[in-house]
Amino acid sequence: MAEIPAETDDELLLRMRSGDEQAFTALYRRRQAAIYRFALHMSGSAATAEDVIQEVFLALIRDDCGYDPERGTLAGYLFGIARKLLLRQLERRQADVPLEAGEEDSVLPERAARPDPLAALTRKEGFAALRRAVETLPPRYREVVALCDLEEVDYAEAAFVLGCPVGTVRSRLHRARALLLEKLHQDRHPRLDALDPARSLI
Amino acid sequence: MTCQEFWSTMPELEGEAAPEAAAHGRECTACAAVLNHHGALAAGLRGVAAEWGRLKAPGRVEARLLAEFRGQAGLAAPPPARRWWSPVLAWTAAALVVAAAFLLFAGRVRQPRTPANTAAGAEAAVTDWGAFLPAEMAGDASAGEFIPLPNADRLPQDTDLNVVRVEVPRSAMIALGYSVAADRASERVRADVLMGSDGLARAVRFLDE
Repeated sequence: MAEIPAETDDELLLRMRSGDEQAFTALYRRRQAAIYRFALHMSGSAATAEDVIQEVFLALIRDDCGYDPERGTLAGYLFGIARKLLLRQLERRQADVPLEAGEEDSVLPERAARPDPLAALTRKEGFAALRRAVETLPPRYREVVALCDLEEVDYAEAAFVLGCPVGTVRSRLHRARALLLEKLHQDRHPRLDALDPARSLI
Repeated sequence: MTCQEFWSTMPELEGEAAPEAAAHGRECTACAAVLNHHGALAAGLRGVAAEWGRLKAPGRVEARLLAEFRGQAGLAAPPPARRWWSPVLAWTAAALVVAAAFLLFAGRVRQPRTPANTAAGAEAAVTDWGAFLPAEMAGDASAGEFIPLPNADRLPQDTDLNVVRVEVPRSAMIALGYSVAADRASERVRADVLMGSDGLARAVRFLDE
Protein backbone atom coordinates (compact mmCIF):
# COMPACT_ATOMS: atom_id res chain seq x y z
CA MET A 1 0.00 0.00 0.00
CA ALA A 2 1.35 3.41 -0.95
CA GLU A 3 2.28 5.70 1.90
CA ILE A 4 0.27 8.86 2.28
CA PRO A 5 2.68 11.73 1.70
CA ALA A 6 3.15 14.00 4.72
CA GLU A 7 1.53 17.38 4.47
CA THR A 8 3.83 20.19 3.45
CA ASP A 9 4.56 23.07 5.79
CA ASP A 10 2.37 25.33 3.67
CA GLU A 11 -0.56 22.93 3.83
CA LEU A 12 -0.23 22.69 7.59
CA LEU A 13 -0.02 26.46 7.79
CA LEU A 14 -3.25 26.80 5.81
CA ARG A 15 -5.07 24.47 8.19
CA MET A 16 -3.52 26.24 11.14
CA ARG A 17 -4.79 29.57 9.86
CA SER A 18 -8.31 28.15 9.91
CA GLY A 19 -7.93 27.32 13.60
CA ASP A 20 -6.81 23.70 13.34
CA GLU A 21 -4.88 23.02 16.51
CA GLN A 22 -3.48 19.70 15.30
CA ALA A 23 -1.98 21.40 12.27
CA PHE A 24 -0.26 23.92 14.51
CA THR A 25 1.09 21.16 16.76
CA ALA A 26 2.36 19.18 13.76
CA LEU A 27 4.06 22.24 12.31
CA TYR A 28 5.60 23.20 15.62
CA ARG A 29 6.93 19.70 16.27
CA ARG A 30 8.37 19.47 12.78
CA ARG A 31 10.26 22.76 12.91
CA GLN A 32 11.01 23.66 16.50
CA ALA A 33 14.10 21.54 17.15
CA ALA A 34 16.29 22.96 14.37
CA ILE A 35 15.35 26.54 15.20
CA TYR A 36 15.89 25.92 18.91
CA ARG A 37 19.36 24.49 18.24
CA PHE A 38 20.18 27.37 15.91
CA ALA A 39 19.25 29.78 18.69
CA LEU A 40 21.32 27.76 21.12
CA HIS A 41 24.37 27.81 18.84
CA MET A 42 23.99 31.52 18.32
CA SER A 43 23.34 32.56 21.91
CA GLY A 44 25.02 29.82 23.93
CA SER A 45 22.10 30.13 26.34
CA ALA A 46 19.23 27.67 26.80
CA ALA A 47 17.05 30.40 28.33
CA THR A 48 17.58 32.69 25.35
CA ALA A 49 16.95 29.83 22.93
CA GLU A 50 13.68 29.08 24.72
CA ASP A 51 12.60 32.72 24.50
CA VAL A 52 13.49 32.84 20.84
CA ILE A 53 11.62 29.68 19.85
CA GLN A 54 8.58 30.97 21.69
CA GLU A 55 8.72 34.36 19.99
CA VAL A 56 9.20 32.79 16.56
CA PHE A 57 6.07 30.68 16.83
CA LEU A 58 4.10 33.45 18.49
CA ALA A 59 4.87 35.56 15.43
CA LEU A 60 3.55 32.72 13.27
CA ILE A 61 0.39 32.38 15.37
CA ARG A 62 -0.28 36.10 15.25
CA ASP A 63 0.76 36.31 11.62
CA ASP A 64 2.94 39.26 12.59
CA CYS A 65 5.67 39.02 9.99
CA GLY A 66 3.77 38.26 6.80
CA TYR A 67 5.13 34.98 5.48
CA ASP A 68 5.06 34.85 1.68
CA PRO A 69 5.49 31.36 0.15
CA GLU A 70 6.57 33.00 -3.11
CA ARG A 71 9.69 34.38 -1.48
CA GLY A 72 10.96 31.31 0.35
CA THR A 73 10.13 28.32 2.48
CA LEU A 74 8.35 28.45 5.81
CA ALA A 75 11.40 26.90 7.49
CA GLY A 76 13.58 29.67 6.09
CA TYR A 77 11.06 32.26 7.21
CA LEU A 78 11.08 30.87 10.76
CA PHE A 79 14.88 30.77 10.82
CA GLY A 80 14.82 34.36 9.60
CA ILE A 81 12.64 35.53 12.49
CA ALA A 82 14.86 33.66 14.93
CA ARG A 83 17.93 35.27 13.44
CA LYS A 84 16.51 38.78 13.75
CA LEU A 85 15.58 38.18 17.37
CA LEU A 86 19.00 36.74 18.15
CA LEU A 87 20.90 39.58 16.49
CA ARG A 88 18.80 42.05 18.43
CA GLN A 89 19.64 40.21 21.64
CA LEU A 90 23.31 40.00 20.77
CA GLU A 91 23.40 43.71 20.06
CA ARG A 92 21.87 44.38 23.44
CA ARG A 93 24.33 42.14 25.19
CA GLN A 94 27.24 43.43 23.10
CA ALA A 95 28.57 39.95 23.22
CA ASP A 96 30.56 40.09 20.03
CA VAL A 97 34.08 38.79 20.34
CA PRO A 98 36.32 41.26 18.51
CA LEU A 99 37.88 38.96 15.98
CA GLU A 100 38.98 41.67 13.59
CA ALA A 101 38.47 40.50 10.09
CA GLY A 102 36.86 41.89 6.97
CA GLU A 103 34.05 39.88 5.54
CA GLU A 104 35.77 39.04 2.32
CA ASP A 105 39.31 38.75 3.73
CA SER A 106 41.07 35.58 2.87
CA VAL A 107 42.96 33.52 5.37
CA LEU A 108 46.46 32.71 4.32
CA PRO A 109 46.94 28.98 4.16
CA GLU A 110 50.41 29.30 5.67
CA ARG A 111 48.98 30.83 8.82
CA ALA A 112 46.38 28.14 9.27
CA ALA A 113 48.94 25.44 8.59
CA ARG A 114 51.03 26.10 11.71
CA PRO A 115 51.93 22.92 13.53
CA ASP A 116 49.43 21.71 16.12
CA PRO A 117 50.32 20.79 19.66
CA LEU A 118 50.29 17.04 19.89
CA ALA A 119 47.86 16.67 22.70
CA ALA A 120 46.07 13.41 23.05
CA LEU A 121 42.43 14.29 23.48
CA THR A 122 39.25 12.35 23.23
CA ARG A 123 36.77 13.01 20.49
CA LYS A 124 34.30 14.49 22.95
CA GLU A 125 36.86 17.02 24.14
CA GLY A 126 37.52 17.89 20.52
CA PHE A 127 33.81 18.58 19.98
CA ALA A 128 33.66 20.72 23.10
CA ALA A 129 36.61 22.80 21.90
CA LEU A 130 34.97 23.20 18.52
CA ARG A 131 31.68 24.30 20.08
CA ARG A 132 33.54 26.89 22.12
CA ALA A 133 35.31 28.08 18.99
CA VAL A 134 31.98 28.43 17.16
CA GLU A 135 30.59 30.48 20.04
CA THR A 136 33.47 32.96 19.77
CA LEU A 137 32.92 33.63 16.07
CA PRO A 138 31.45 37.01 15.18
CA PRO A 139 27.69 36.64 14.65
CA ARG A 140 27.78 36.91 10.85
CA TYR A 141 30.13 33.92 10.69
CA ARG A 142 28.57 32.06 13.57
CA GLU A 143 25.14 32.14 11.96
CA VAL A 144 26.36 30.74 8.68
CA VAL A 145 28.20 27.90 10.45
CA ALA A 146 25.17 27.21 12.63
CA LEU A 147 22.87 27.11 9.63
CA CYS A 148 24.95 25.38 6.98
CA ASP A 149 27.30 23.17 8.99
CA LEU A 150 25.34 22.40 12.14
CA GLU A 151 21.77 22.42 10.84
CA GLU A 152 22.62 21.38 7.29
CA VAL A 153 20.55 24.10 5.68
CA ASP A 154 21.50 24.37 2.01
CA TYR A 155 23.17 27.47 0.65
CA ALA A 156 20.09 28.75 -1.17
CA GLU A 157 17.93 28.46 1.94
CA ALA A 158 20.66 30.05 4.05
CA ALA A 159 20.83 32.91 1.55
CA PHE A 160 17.09 33.46 2.04
CA VAL A 161 17.44 33.39 5.81
CA LEU A 162 20.39 35.76 5.83
CA GLY A 163 18.99 37.99 3.11
CA CYS A 164 22.10 37.83 0.92
CA PRO A 165 23.26 36.15 -2.29
CA VAL A 166 24.36 32.52 -2.29
CA GLY A 167 27.90 33.64 -3.15
CA THR A 168 28.04 35.64 0.08
CA VAL A 169 26.91 32.63 2.06
CA ARG A 170 29.75 30.60 0.55
CA SER A 171 32.38 33.25 1.15
CA ARG A 172 31.25 33.74 4.73
CA LEU A 173 31.36 30.02 5.33
CA HIS A 174 34.84 29.85 3.79
CA ARG A 175 35.97 32.65 6.06
CA ALA A 176 34.20 31.19 9.09
CA ARG A 177 35.89 27.82 8.71
CA ALA A 178 39.28 29.47 8.32
CA LEU A 179 38.63 31.45 11.50
CA LEU A 180 37.63 28.28 13.29
CA LEU A 181 40.88 26.56 12.29
CA GLU A 182 42.83 29.59 13.40
CA LYS A 183 40.97 29.71 16.70
CA LEU A 184 41.58 26.03 17.37
CA HIS A 185 45.29 26.46 16.73
CA GLN A 186 45.50 29.63 18.80
CA ASP A 187 43.91 27.96 21.77
CA ARG A 188 46.35 25.07 21.42
CA HIS A 189 43.41 22.86 21.56
CA PRO A 190 43.12 19.31 20.47
CA ARG A 191 44.68 18.28 17.28
CA LEU A 192 42.22 18.49 14.47
CA ASP A 193 42.64 14.77 14.20
CA ALA A 194 40.74 14.51 17.44
CA LEU A 195 37.72 16.03 15.74
CA ASP A 196 37.66 13.39 13.09
CA PRO A 197 36.16 10.18 14.40
CA ALA A 198 38.05 8.10 11.84
CA ARG A 199 41.40 9.72 12.60
CA SER A 200 40.94 9.55 16.32
CA LEU A 201 40.93 5.79 16.04
CA ILE A 202 44.35 5.68 14.42
CA MET B 1 47.39 27.74 -10.39
CA THR B 2 48.76 29.69 -7.41
CA CYS B 3 47.86 28.96 -3.79
CA GLN B 4 45.80 32.18 -3.72
CA GLU B 5 43.87 31.09 -6.77
CA PHE B 6 43.44 27.63 -5.31
CA TRP B 7 41.83 28.96 -2.09
CA SER B 8 39.67 31.43 -3.99
CA THR B 9 37.83 28.41 -5.42
CA MET B 10 36.87 27.52 -1.82
CA PRO B 11 37.83 23.90 -2.35
CA GLU B 12 36.84 22.93 1.18
CA LEU B 13 33.21 23.73 0.36
CA GLU B 14 33.15 21.68 -2.81
CA GLY B 15 32.36 18.03 -2.88
CA GLU B 16 34.55 17.60 -5.91
CA ALA B 17 37.21 20.12 -6.92
CA ALA B 18 37.66 21.29 -10.49
CA PRO B 19 40.49 19.38 -12.27
CA GLU B 20 42.95 22.30 -12.05
CA ALA B 21 42.26 22.85 -8.34
CA ALA B 22 42.48 19.13 -7.67
CA ALA B 23 45.88 19.07 -9.36
CA HIS B 24 47.13 21.93 -7.19
CA GLY B 25 45.82 20.17 -4.11
CA ARG B 26 47.91 17.13 -4.97
CA GLU B 27 51.08 19.05 -5.90
CA CYS B 28 51.20 21.72 -3.15
CA THR B 29 51.96 20.07 0.17
CA ALA B 30 51.11 23.22 2.20
CA CYS B 31 47.67 23.55 0.61
CA ALA B 32 47.13 19.79 0.87
CA ALA B 33 47.85 19.99 4.63
CA VAL B 34 45.40 22.84 5.13
CA LEU B 35 42.80 21.09 3.03
CA ASN B 36 43.34 18.08 5.23
CA HIS B 37 42.64 20.23 8.30
CA HIS B 38 39.49 21.51 6.66
CA GLY B 39 38.40 17.91 6.20
CA ALA B 40 38.96 17.24 9.89
CA LEU B 41 37.09 20.43 10.77
CA ALA B 42 34.13 19.42 8.60
CA ALA B 43 34.08 16.01 10.31
CA GLY B 44 34.20 17.72 13.70
CA LEU B 45 31.29 19.98 12.76
CA ARG B 46 29.30 16.94 11.67
CA GLY B 47 30.13 15.38 15.03
CA VAL B 48 28.88 18.45 16.92
CA ALA B 49 25.73 18.47 14.78
CA ALA B 50 25.13 14.80 15.57
CA GLU B 51 25.82 15.33 19.25
CA TRP B 52 23.31 18.18 19.45
CA GLY B 53 20.90 16.61 16.98
CA ARG B 54 18.52 15.32 19.62
CA LEU B 55 18.16 18.67 21.40
CA LYS B 56 14.76 20.28 21.18
CA ALA B 57 12.81 22.99 22.94
CA PRO B 58 11.41 22.12 26.39
CA GLY B 59 7.84 20.82 26.41
CA ARG B 60 6.58 23.83 28.35
CA VAL B 61 7.12 26.01 25.27
CA GLU B 62 4.66 23.92 23.28
CA ALA B 63 2.13 24.12 26.12
CA ARG B 64 2.41 27.92 26.26
CA LEU B 65 2.15 28.25 22.51
CA LEU B 66 -0.88 25.99 22.36
CA ALA B 67 -2.60 28.13 24.98
CA GLU B 68 -1.80 31.21 22.90
CA PHE B 69 -3.02 29.48 19.74
CA ARG B 70 -6.31 28.54 21.38
CA GLY B 71 -6.74 32.06 22.62
CA GLN B 72 -6.00 33.46 19.18
CA ALA B 73 -8.29 30.99 17.42
CA GLY B 74 -11.02 31.39 20.04
CA LEU B 75 -10.84 27.71 20.96
CA ALA B 76 -11.60 26.36 24.39
CA ALA B 77 -9.05 24.13 26.05
CA PRO B 78 -9.94 20.49 25.46
CA PRO B 79 -11.33 18.57 28.45
CA PRO B 80 -8.74 16.53 30.31
CA ALA B 81 -8.30 13.05 28.89
CA ARG B 82 -10.52 10.46 30.56
CA ARG B 83 -8.75 7.44 31.90
CA TRP B 84 -10.41 4.02 31.99
CA TRP B 85 -10.08 3.75 35.73
CA SER B 86 -11.53 7.11 36.67
CA PRO B 87 -15.23 6.04 36.51
CA VAL B 88 -14.36 2.83 38.40
CA LEU B 89 -12.64 4.87 41.06
CA ALA B 90 -15.54 7.30 41.29
CA TRP B 91 -18.13 4.54 41.70
CA THR B 92 -15.99 2.72 44.27
CA ALA B 93 -15.58 5.90 46.28
CA ALA B 94 -19.31 6.56 46.12
CA ALA B 95 -20.08 3.01 47.29
CA LEU B 96 -17.65 3.36 50.19
CA VAL B 97 -19.23 6.64 51.25
CA VAL B 98 -22.71 5.10 51.20
CA ALA B 99 -21.51 2.07 53.20
CA ALA B 100 -19.76 4.26 55.75
CA ALA B 101 -22.83 6.47 56.10
CA PHE B 102 -25.01 3.41 56.63
CA LEU B 103 -22.73 1.96 59.31
CA LEU B 104 -22.53 5.32 61.05
CA PHE B 105 -26.27 5.68 60.98
CA ALA B 106 -26.83 2.12 62.24
CA GLY B 107 -24.31 2.58 65.07
CA ARG B 108 -25.32 6.01 66.25
CA VAL B 109 -28.97 6.44 65.52
CA ARG B 110 -30.30 2.97 65.83
CA GLN B 111 -33.86 2.85 66.98
CA PRO B 112 -33.94 1.68 70.59
CA ARG B 113 -35.96 -1.44 71.22
CA THR B 114 -39.26 -0.25 72.58
CA PRO B 115 -40.74 -2.68 75.06
CA ALA B 116 -44.23 -2.18 73.64
CA ASN B 117 -46.39 0.50 72.25
CA THR B 118 -48.51 0.43 75.30
CA ALA B 119 -49.04 2.80 78.16
CA ALA B 120 -47.26 0.40 80.47
CA GLY B 121 -44.33 0.32 78.12
CA ALA B 122 -44.22 4.09 78.07
CA GLU B 123 -44.17 4.19 81.83
CA ALA B 124 -41.28 1.72 81.86
CA ALA B 125 -39.44 3.81 79.33
CA VAL B 126 -39.31 6.78 81.66
CA THR B 127 -37.77 4.89 84.51
CA ASP B 128 -35.80 2.20 82.70
CA TRP B 129 -33.82 4.06 80.08
CA GLY B 130 -31.49 1.15 79.52
CA ALA B 131 -34.29 -0.91 78.02
CA PHE B 132 -34.34 1.48 75.08
CA LEU B 133 -30.69 1.00 74.20
CA PRO B 134 -29.28 -1.18 71.48
CA ALA B 135 -27.65 -4.30 72.92
CA GLU B 136 -24.02 -3.11 72.31
CA MET B 137 -24.74 0.22 74.01
CA ALA B 138 -26.64 -1.26 76.92
CA GLY B 139 -23.73 -3.54 77.76
CA ASP B 140 -21.13 -0.77 77.74
CA ALA B 141 -19.23 -1.31 80.99
CA SER B 142 -17.77 2.17 80.98
CA ALA B 143 -21.22 3.76 80.87
CA GLY B 144 -22.95 5.18 83.94
CA GLU B 145 -26.66 5.52 84.60
CA PHE B 146 -28.90 7.75 82.50
CA ILE B 147 -29.59 10.97 84.34
CA PRO B 148 -32.83 12.76 83.50
CA LEU B 149 -32.20 16.25 82.25
CA PRO B 150 -33.69 19.07 84.40
CA ASN B 151 -36.62 19.77 82.09
CA ALA B 152 -37.34 16.14 81.12
CA ASP B 153 -40.24 15.75 83.52
CA ARG B 154 -42.08 18.60 81.81
CA LEU B 155 -41.80 16.95 78.36
CA PRO B 156 -44.56 14.69 77.04
CA GLN B 157 -44.08 10.97 77.45
CA ASP B 158 -42.43 9.47 74.40
CA THR B 159 -41.73 5.84 73.62
CA ASP B 160 -40.08 6.51 70.30
CA LEU B 161 -36.65 7.26 71.69
CA ASN B 162 -33.28 7.46 70.00
CA VAL B 163 -29.83 7.34 71.49
CA VAL B 164 -27.18 9.61 70.05
CA ARG B 165 -23.59 9.18 71.10
CA VAL B 166 -21.72 12.48 71.24
CA GLU B 167 -18.55 14.00 72.62
CA VAL B 168 -18.86 16.98 74.97
CA PRO B 169 -16.43 18.94 77.11
CA ARG B 170 -16.10 17.46 80.61
CA SER B 171 -17.26 20.83 81.95
CA ALA B 172 -20.77 19.95 80.67
CA MET B 173 -20.99 17.37 83.48
CA ILE B 174 -20.97 20.15 86.13
CA ALA B 175 -24.55 21.15 85.25
CA LEU B 176 -25.66 17.61 86.13
CA GLY B 177 -24.04 17.60 89.54
CA TYR B 178 -20.68 16.04 88.75
CA SER B 179 -17.54 17.53 90.24
CA VAL B 180 -14.92 18.28 87.62
CA ALA B 181 -11.35 19.31 88.33
CA ALA B 182 -10.46 22.63 86.72
CA ASP B 183 -7.46 21.17 84.89
CA ARG B 184 -9.68 18.54 83.22
CA ALA B 185 -12.58 20.81 82.32
CA SER B 186 -11.55 21.07 78.72
CA GLU B 187 -11.16 17.31 78.17
CA ARG B 188 -13.70 15.69 75.98
CA VAL B 189 -15.91 12.88 77.20
CA ARG B 190 -18.29 10.58 75.37
CA ALA B 191 -21.96 10.73 76.28
CA ASP B 192 -25.16 8.99 75.20
CA VAL B 193 -28.07 11.40 74.82
CA LEU B 194 -31.60 10.00 74.85
CA MET B 195 -33.69 11.93 72.33
CA GLY B 196 -37.42 11.91 71.89
CA SER B 197 -39.15 11.83 68.50
CA ASP B 198 -39.73 15.55 68.99
CA GLY B 199 -35.94 16.07 68.90
CA LEU B 200 -35.69 17.05 72.54
CA ALA B 201 -33.21 15.39 74.87
CA ARG B 202 -34.61 13.47 77.84
CA ALA B 203 -31.58 12.08 79.58
CA VAL B 204 -27.85 11.69 79.30
CA ARG B 205 -25.21 9.33 80.58
CA PHE B 206 -21.45 9.74 80.50
CA LEU B 207 -19.20 6.97 79.34
CA ASP B 208 -15.83 8.30 80.53
CA GLU B 209 -16.45 9.46 84.03
